[in-house]
This record gives sequence, C-alpha cells and structure tokens, in this order.
Amino acid sequence: MFLTVIGALNTGFIQTMKLFAVTLVGALPLGLLLSFGSMSRFKPLSYLTKLVVWVIRGTPLMLQLIILYYIPGQLMDHSPWPGGESGRFLASAIAFIINYSCYFCEIYRGGIQSVPVGQQEAGLVLGMTKWQIFFRVTLLQMIKRIVPPMSNEIITLVKDTSLARIISMQELIWAGYAFLKGSHGYSGLLWPLFFTGVYYLVFIGILTLLFGYVERRLSYFR
Amino acid sequence: MKKYTCLLLALALALMLAACGSSTTTTTSGTSSADGNTAATATDIEAGGDLEYVMDKGTLVVGITEFEPMDYQDADGTWIGFDADMARAFADYLGVEAEFQIIDWDNKVFELEGKTIDVVWNGMTLTDEVTSAMECSVAYCNNAQVVIVPADKADDYQTAESVQELTFAVESGSAGQQVVADLGANYVEVADQATALLEVASGTADAAAIDALMAAAMVGEGTSYSDLTYTVSLNSEEYGVGFRKGSDMAAVLNVFFAEAYADGSMIECAETYGIQAALIEQ
Amino acid sequence: MSILEVRHIEKHFGATQVLTDISFSLEQGQALSIIGASGSGKTTLLRCLNLLERPDGGSFSVRGETLFDASDPATQSEAQVRQKRLHFGLVFQSFNLFPQYTALENVTLAGRLLAKERPGFRENRREIYAEIERQGQELLARMGLADRAGHYPHQLSGGQQQRVAIARALALQPDVLCFDEPTSALDPELTGEVLKVIRSLAEEKTTMIIVTHEMAFARDVSDQLIFMDGGVIVEQGDPHQVIDNPQQERTKRFLRNYQS
Repeated sequence: MFLTVIGALNTGFIQTMKLFAVTLVGALPLGLLLSFGSMSRFKPLSYLTKLVVWVIRGTPLMLQLIILYYIPGQLMDHSPWPGGESGRFLASAIAFIINYSCYFCEIYRGGIQSVPVGQQEAGLVLGMTKWQIFFRVTLLQMIKRIVPPMSNEIITLVKDTSLARIISMQELIWAGYAFLKGSHGYSGLLWPLFFTGVYYLVFIGILTLLFGYVERRLSYFR
Repeated sequence: MKKYTCLLLALALALMLAACGSSTTTTTSGTSSADGNTAATATDIEAGGDLEYVMDKGTLVVGITEFEPMDYQDADGTWIGFDADMARAFADYLGVEAEFQIIDWDNKVFELEGKTIDVVWNGMTLTDEVTSAMECSVAYCNNAQVVIVPADKADDYQTAESVQELTFAVESGSAGQQVVADLGANYVEVADQATALLEVASGTADAAAIDALMAAAMVGEGTSYSDLTYTVSLNSEEYGVGFRKGSDMAAVLNVFFAEAYADGSMIECAETYGIQAALIEQ
Repeated sequence: MSILEVRHIEKHFGATQVLTDISFSLEQGQALSIIGASGSGKTTLLRCLNLLERPDGGSFSVRGETLFDASDPATQSEAQVRQKRLHFGLVFQSFNLFPQYTALENVTLAGRLLAKERPGFRENRREIYAEIERQGQELLARMGLADRAGHYPHQLSGGQQQRVAIARALALQPDVLCFDEPTSALDPELTGEVLKVIRSLAEEKTTMIIVTHEMAFARDVSDQLIFMDGGVIVEQGDPHQVIDNPQQERTKRFLRNYQS
C-alpha cells in the first residue's frame, strides 16, 4: 500500500513541479516586462498595465482558472484547450503565469525604484546606454533588494499550485485527496493527504536554502 | 520576443474573457434554475449538432470521479467499473474513442458547457438540479441515500424519525444533501461523499447521507471504515447519464441502453460489478 | 580659442526660474570654481552641461563643436546625447560609485563597454582590455589608491570612495572635468585628501569646473571664479579679486557669512 500511495503522490508531485517551473520561467520575464510597462513614460501603456495588474491581483486565482478554462468553450463551438490532462495543465500554466507576473511586476517595480537615481546618472555621464545601465548597474542591485520579497512569493507559488485542482489538474493535493475518495483500490485513507505536506516541506526547505545561498552570494556589496 | 507576444496575447484573451465571462455564467445558472423541464428544447445546439460534433472529433470525453463500483482504476490504471465499461461500449457503438477524464464534481456543468468533456457518466443521481442543467438519459440504475452511523450506535437509528436529531455531513450539492434537508435534520456541507464518511469516522458529524452503492463498497466489515455501518434508506432514486443541455446524444444513448439490455450485455456487465439487483429494466 | 563656451543658458523647473542668462568661457588647462549659496543654481548648471538636464535657452560648445543650442533642434537629438556627454566628466557629491563593482571595476567599466564599439575590437579584445585595466590601475595609483583596487565601495572610507569616483571620471579622458560639491558629503577630516587630489589635477593642468563651498580652496586652486546667486552670475573674475575684494553687495554678504 505504501508504495502504491507514494507512486501516486510522486506522479502528482511531478505535475506540481512542472506547473511551478513553467510558471517561474514564464512569469519572471513577463513580470519584468509588465514592470517596465507600468513605469513607462507613455501614459496609456502605464495605465493599461496598472489596470491589468489591478484586475489580476484583485480577483482570486481560483476564479481566473475557472474563467480561463471553462468560458472559451462556452463561447465557441469547441473548447480551444487540448483534450485531457495536457489542456488542463496548459490552462493552469497560463493562468498562473499571468497571475504571478502581476505580483512579480510590483516586486520588480519596487526593486528598480529603490535603486538610487544617482546610479543611473553616474552611468549616463560615463556614456553608457540605457540598456547597459540597466544590465550592468541597476539589475544586480535590484536583484539584491528583491530576493527577500521574491523568495516569499515563490514559496507561496509552490503551495498555490494546488489551486489548479479546481479545473481537475491532478497535482499533489489531488493525488493525496484521491485516496480519501477512493483510488487505486483504496478509499478512506487519510494519511496520504497529510503526507503531501512532507513533499511541500522538503521542497520549500530546499528553496529556502537556495534563497539563503543567493542572499549570501549577493552580500559582498551593499 | 515571440514568447512574450504569445503571453501578451494570452493575457489580452484572458481579460476579454473575464469581461464577458460574468454575463455568460449568470445566464446559464438562470436557465438551469428555471424549472425541472427535461424536454430536449435544443436551444443552443441544433438538432444533430452535438452527436455530429463528437463523431467529427472522434472521441467521447467521459467526465468521471473515482467512484467504486461505477468508475475506478484497476492495477494497470485502466478505468473499469459498470459506468466505465458501459461508456466504452457506447463509444464503440458510436464508432468513436472513449476518453476518461477525472473532474471536480462541483464543476460538472462547467465541464460540459465549456466542452472540456462530452458526458457525465458517473453514478449520477437524477435530481432536479441535474435534470435542469443537463440533457439526461433515462434512469438505468436504482440507488438510495442511506444513513451512515458508527456501528455501535446503529441499533438506535433504524428509522427516519430517529435520525432526525443527528447532525449530518453531506456532500455539497448532492442528492444526500437534498434528502437530509427534506428530513429537516441539521447538516454540514463537505466537499464530497468520502469526506462525509471521514466526518463520521472522526466524530465531527453524527451521521452522513451517501449513495447506497457507495456505502456498500466503502463501509462495514473488510473496508477502510469497518466501524461504520449504514442503516435506514431516506429515499429511493435513480442514476442517469448527463449530456450538454439540448444535446441529441441522450436520445441515442437511450436507444443504446435498450439494445444492450435486450441482448443481455448490460446485465452481464452489471453482474461483473455486483450491482445487477439495482439495474433498471430498459 | 576657448575649450568651453557657454552662452545665455536658461533653465526653469515649472514656474521657477533656476538659471538666467548664464555665460562664461573656459580656457584649456584652466580651473573654474563656482561658489554660491545652496539653491543658487550651481548644481543645475553642471547638470545642464552634462546633459542630465535640458536647458530651456542658450547654447554651449566644446572645442568649437556646438553640443547644445536651444534654437537649433538638430543639436538636441537623443541619439547623439551619449557621445556628447563624453566631453564632460562629472564627480558627484554623493560619489555614486557602483556598489557591486570593485574600485578598479568602477574605473574600467565604462571604458570596457565603449571599447566594444571600436573597430577591430573582436580581434584585439584581450589587448584592449589589458590596456584599459593598466590605465585604471595607473589612475588609482595617482589617486593614492593602488592598494585598494580590489576593494568594494562599502569597504572604503568616504574620501577613498570619492577619489575612486574621480579616477572613474578621468578614465574616459573628458575635455572638461566637473565636480559637484565633491567634499560636501565627507566628514571634515576626510575633505583634505580629496582636495589634495583635485589640487594636483589643477597643477597638471586638467580643465575643470568645481562647484564648492571651500572658499580658501577655490581661491588657491582656480584660475577663474564665478559667484552665483538666485540663478544669475553676480560676479566673475580672478579668484583672489572676487574673494578678497568683492565688488558686489551680494557677494560681500555671502562671503561674510562664510568667514564668520
């Protein structure tokens, strides 16, 4: 029984990890793009970005998942999402990327704006381009400042992936819960659900160590 | 850069949907609560439309939850059970592939309307809510909502009157909730029937009301809940299969059921899973 | 011909007039000091020359090349701003060193980036970088910081940081080196080392504009002195003349406050 449960939980955990990884890969750059948009001197763009961030942060992720996955098929004569698990994963990934990029956007914005303007001016008078200043001067200082709020948000993301089960993406919590409802010939088993906590704990433990390492690596300057 | 463009497009799409989504959902729930009329009004799908749609794409996506003995997985991960086997036979009959998709039971109407599944075939009790929101087949199986209590207290609760004083745990939106509410007993709503059982087992609720077929498989000697038992039946009810509202496939399934009952294959299948006594003559 | 010609510069922020009709010229190898109370427009003037601010009127040119002319849009294209800024170096009041780079990296960063735009960079990358690094080391040595090349800014004292900043500004060999109150952010005991460096630059005939509150220093080091008040040049001329024997009432009042 133990091996059956662990096997099923591992399958769920892989889904959780995939969603986590894809969200990070998509939301980290998209969030940066959004933060540039929200700081743009071109007002319509800045207002539009702020509106998007407000709507996405102002509504529950669970609702966004339901809307993104179920509404297109009601409006069109077939659902645009691929059948089976892959469609559910894709919809979850897009909803998570959009949602998290809005949170990341605000963290980036805070980080960029906390770098003193003198740094930028020093770059300008040395004949550096806007992009050189961003990548060579501002970026690393920004990263140093955003590591603590970012690690917070990323740890929340690990646990938020369980929201994807609302559109029946079979992630870790779903896999644990299945044994309570009845699965693989077992039902009413409570411990697999609780055991999923061990997976989250271990993984977040590893992430915490990683963030600690990054913080230490960046502590060489102030 | 291409990736960003895609993501931005997706973002725009999501916003657009968010904008028009709210109105759509209100209309759907509005019609479903109107009355219990099950006649094929074919409002949003034209005659021949839904069957043609399924035949065209070549797959029948069957929405299920894990529910022994109707839909569950064997050791190889293949879906078996009375409903799963019949669904597969029906797909063969149509000449398409059956594809099983686990869903969140609360979202079954969403799944149908969003066309992410084609049919709900999962020991579904034909309640007013179900028949008004879906196009349902004829009933194919009898069921009842039974009261689950700890085995050591079972003797005190053998009648509908005696269980009225208990606090129940019921699956939210289930037939069990309906009968307990009709009974006038207190109840708490939980996510599913399995959780309702867990509530009784852990003493957080006095009793649960769940499907008789499920109770037979899940409580009593030799199960995970050996110290629970079931006593009185609060009602009798029937299982049916649900399609999208207005679908023409419900009628096709009725014909299939009649043929399968007549040639004995449906009874044979029921015997495999020990539910032949509950089967309804077609 | 003068290395720098400034003609009728005007600047306002909203309704506030910050600079009014600023004109002066500077000869190659000369040092110009600008004194005046806080808010008199000294810093804004330096920022205009470095194109960190865009003047609203007037023009200025370096070595005969017009870098900015308010009446000629052709001189204001964003694309050329970067090249034009290289005519000037600027040392900030608050140093503005890049904290994530060592002293040497601060000095060489801009040079390394500019080198990439040079023809033949790819083939000679190694040699070019080695040369830039050698020059950086040399500059730090001139600042008395040869043994601090590998230190990060937070490991250096304020005076050392400012000297790194001066080396950084010198690395690109600007025509005119500007100082914006280079010692105002320093503890009194640290100003000496920075002033000493600026003094030695003056002795080496570096063309400089120094905005400062150090009157004695301005008098001893510079060839020319400007006193500004309320955005206008009140008095300008020989430093000894202006400081020891001011002609204008406003200059006298300002200097009295400083000497007391």
